[in-house]
Amino acid sequence: MTNGEVASVHTGAARRESMLLETFGKRLVSVNTTNWNEVHVHARSKEDIPELCLYVRHELKGKLATIICSDERRVTGAFVLRYAFDIGGGEDLFVIVTARVEHGDSASPPVFPSIALLLPAATLYEREIRDTFGLIPEGNPDQRPLSLHEHWPEDAFPLRKEFELRTKVANVQNRDYRFLKVEGEGVTEIPVGPVHAGIIEPGHFRFSALGEIIVNLETRLFYTHRGVEKLAEDLSLEHVLLLSERISGDEAVANSSAYCQALEKVAGVLPPPRALQIRAVCAELERVYNHLGTLAGLSTDVGFAYGAARLNILKERMMRLNEQVTGSRLLFGVNRLGGVGVDMPSEKSRLVKGTIDTVLADFNRIVKLLRNDSSVMDRLRGTGTIGPNDAEEMGLLGVAARSSGLDVDTRRDHPYGAYRSITIAPHYDTPRHITEHEVEMANRRGDVLARFETRVEEVVNSANMLGEVLWNLDSDPELSIPLGKDALNPFSHALGYSESHRGQTVHWVMVGEKPGTIFRYKVRTASFANWPAIEMAVVNDILADFPLINKSLDLSYAGNDL
Amino acid sequence: MRKTSSRHDILGDHVETDKLVPEGDRSAPAFRGDVSFAPESGAQLLDSALCRQVEKVCAPKAIASKEVDGRLQLTLDKGRCIMCGLCEEAAPALFEVQSRFSRPVKKKSDLVVAQLPTKAPDGRDSSHEELGRQLSKKITKILGRSLAIREVDAGSCNGCEVEVAALNNAIYDIERFGAHFVASPRHADVLLVTGVGSRNMEAALRRTFDATPDPKVVVAVGACATTGGIFGDTYATSGGVGDIVPVDVYVPGCPPRPEALLYGLLLAVDRIR
Repeated sequence: MTNGEVASVHTGAARRESMLLETFGKRLVSVNTTNWNEVHVHARSKEDIPELCLYVRHELKGKLATIICSDERRVTGAFVLRYAFDIGGGEDLFVIVTARVEHGDSASPPVFPSIALLLPAATLYEREIRDTFGLIPEGNPDQRPLSLHEHWPEDAFPLRKEFELRTKVANVQNRDYRFLKVEGEGVTEIPVGPVHAGIIEPGHFRFSALGEIIVNLETRLFYTHRGVEKLAEDLSLEHVLLLSERISGDEAVANSSAYCQALEKVAGVLPPPRALQIRAVCAELERVYNHLGTLAGLSTDVGFAYGAARLNILKERMMRLNEQVTGSRLLFGVNRLGGVGVDMPSEKSRLVKGTIDTVLADFNRIVKLLRNDSSVMDRLRGTGTIGPNDAEEMGLLGVAARSSGLDVDTRRDHPYGAYRSITIAPHYDTPRHITEHEVEMANRRGDVLARFETRVEEVVNSANMLGEVLWNLDSDPELSIPLGKDALNPFSHALGYSESHRGQTVHWVMVGEKPGTIFRYKVRTASFANWPAIEMAVVNDILADFPLINKSLDLSYAGNDL
Repeated sequence: MRKTSSRHDILGDHVETDKLVPEGDRSAPAFRGDVSFAPESGAQLLDSALCRQVEKVCAPKAIASKEVDGRLQLTLDKGRCIMCGLCEEAAPALFEVQSRFSRPVKKKSDLVVAQLPTKAPDGRDSSHEELGRQLSKKITKILGRSLAIREVDAGSCNGCEVEVAALNNAIYDIERFGAHFVASPRHADVLLVTGVGSRNMEAALRRTFDATPDPKVVVAVGACATTGGIFGDTYATSGGVGDIVPVDVYVPGCPPRPEALLYGLLLAVDRIR
C-alpha cells in the first residue's frame, strides 16, 4: 500500500522472495513485490508451473486463492497465467506464480501443464480456462465443458480479445454432457433441476442413490452464466462497480468492496477513514441479514416453520433497516471508487444501533428455542459432515471452513479497510479466550449443526462490530477521494479481497490501455471455491437431507456462474 | 427469565404484520425507486454535449437522445433502469429519483417515457396490505379460488429471488391473499421469470413454459428480465426473457420491491381473463 502509515517493506514478502530465488534461481525471470503484499514470481517456462505451485503450497503454506488467465497476446505476445496463493498464518501476504503460454502455430491449441492432480482445488479453474480461453490443461482428467454448456461450439472462446462481446454463436445440436455413472444392483439415478421446487437459483444435481442413501452426487452449474468478466472489459470503471454489485445480489457490498479495493490499490489511493468505516458497517449489515435468512432456511428445511417464520421477520426488519440507511433493501449503491456514496449521520447511526439491539434480543430468544428443540437439533447433528482434511484440500472458505475447524477469515488474515482496527471476534483478545477458541474450533465437526452454530456466533459478533464502529465513526465528513484516471497506469493490476457472508471473495483487476477502461477482470467468489464441497458432504446421507445440507453451505449460483 | 412483555416478544402471539406495517406505510424516504424526468426538466434546453454526458453516465443505456422537429429530446427506458441514481447526480435539473416504486406495465413500450410532456406521478404508493386486498378480490372474481405462481430464475443475480422469497415471509405473507408459490410449472397459473434469460437457461425456460398448462401468464421480474438490464444483450444473455417466451407483464426495478411484485401480480391476474 502506498499510503503513509504502512509504506515500509513487508518483511514476510522479502523473506519469501529470497526463499524462492534460492530454490529456483535461474528458472525464474524475476521475483518482485507489488501493492505491498503481492509477491509475483515469474517463471521462465510454463513447464515449471507444477513445481512452483507445489513449492508455494507446501513450503510457503499457501492456499490456492484463484487462477487468473488473461489474453495479453497483443501486449506481450502470449497468454499469461497467474496462480494466486493466499499465505496464511497472520502474515497478510499473497504469492502469485506467473507464467506465459505462447500461442505458437495457430493450428494446434495452446497447452499448459495441469496441476489438478497435485492441487485438487485447481480442477475447476483449469476447466474454466479451457472453456473461455481455449488453453488446454494437459493432464487434467476432466476435460468436459464447465461454464459454457454442451450447445456451445468448441472453437469459440469468449474471453479471448478477438471475440466480440455481442457475438451470437449458433447452437451445436446433439451433444451430451457425460455424468459419472454409478452402476450396481439397486442404484437409481435421480436428476434434479435446473428449475427447482423452491424460490432458488438454477443448477442441476445428478444423484445416484441406493434406496434413500446418496452414493454419489454430481453438480452441474453455470446456468446463470451472464458473461460478467467479458462485459467488464466493455464498460467504464464506474459502471463495472455497478456490475460488481450484481455478480451476486445478496453479496453486493462484499463484491463491490473487493472491486473498489483492487482499483484503489492500483491508483495508490486510500479512502477517507469514515468511508472505510461505513463500508465495514454495510458489510456487517449484509452479513447479518443473510445469516438470518440462512438460519431461517435451515429451520424450514427441517420442517420447523415456526422458527423459520420468526427468523424471516428479523431478516425483513434488517432489510428495511438497509433501505432506510442506504436507499436499497439489498445495499446496492453503497460503494464508490475511492470511498462510499452514502453517509451515516448520527440519526441513522442511532437507528442502526437501536434496530440491531432489538433484533439481537429477539434473535437470542429464537436461537434458544431452536437449541431446546430436539427435533430440530437431531436433524442438524451429524448431517453433511466435511472433515478438516477435506476442507483444507478443497480450499474451503468462510463459514464452511470455520465450521470444519479451519480458522480462516479474510477480515483478520488480510485486514483491509476499517477491519485493521475492529475487534472481529472477542475470542482473539486474551490468552484465555484464544485457548477457549482453540478448543471450540477442535470441537467443530463440520456438520450442519457446526455451520448453524458458526452463523449464530457471527450474527452476534457482527452486531457487536456494528456497535463498535458506529461509536467510533471518524468525524471528518469526507466520503471519497477521486481516483484520478492518470494515476491508473495502463496494464497495472492488483488483487482486491473481502470477506462476504459466504467467505473470501477475490477480484483481480488489470487496468486497460485507454484511461478509464478495464483490460481483464477476474472474479472468484467464495461460492466457486465451496461448491465442490457439497458433493462430498452429502455422501452417505439420505436424499431428504440434501436441501438441509445445501442450505447450510449457503452457496450462491450467480456468484459461481458469473 | 421473560423480561419483555409478550406484546413485544418475538415469540409472543401478537400480529407481527400490523405491528411492523401500519396501514398506508410506504417505502422509506431514502428508497431509490422510480427514476423520472424532473418536473421542470421540460424547460431545460438540451445541447448535444449534455445529452452525451447523461447518456454516458447510464450503465444499462436507459437514457437515449434523439432529434424531434429539430429539437433534441431525451427518452428514459424504465425497463432498463437499475436505480443507481447516477443520472440525478450528473444532471439534477433533468432527472429525479423518487421513493415510489416503478410501476409494472403490460406493454413494454409503456416503460419508455419521453422528456416532454411531463406527466405528474399517479398518486402515492399503496401499501402491500391495500395491494394484497385488491389482489385477493381479483383472484376470487376471476379464478374463483387461488392463484398458483411458479418462480423461474433464468439467469438473475439472486437479488430478485431475495425479494420474491420475501413475499412469503410473515410480514408480506402473500398466501393470505390467495396467491401461493407452487413447486412445479405443471400446476401454475403464473410464471414469475427473473434474470437475463441466459444462454445456458434458454432451453430450460422454454421447457418450463411448455410444461405450464393454459391459460398461463408470464411476468418478467426486474430490469434484467425486462430488457437485459445492466447485462444487456451479449454472447451469454438475451435482451430480456421476452426473446425466449411471450411476456404479459413487466415489473421494472433492480430488484423490484415486494409491493411492486404484488402490483405486477395484480396486472397478471387481469391477463388471465
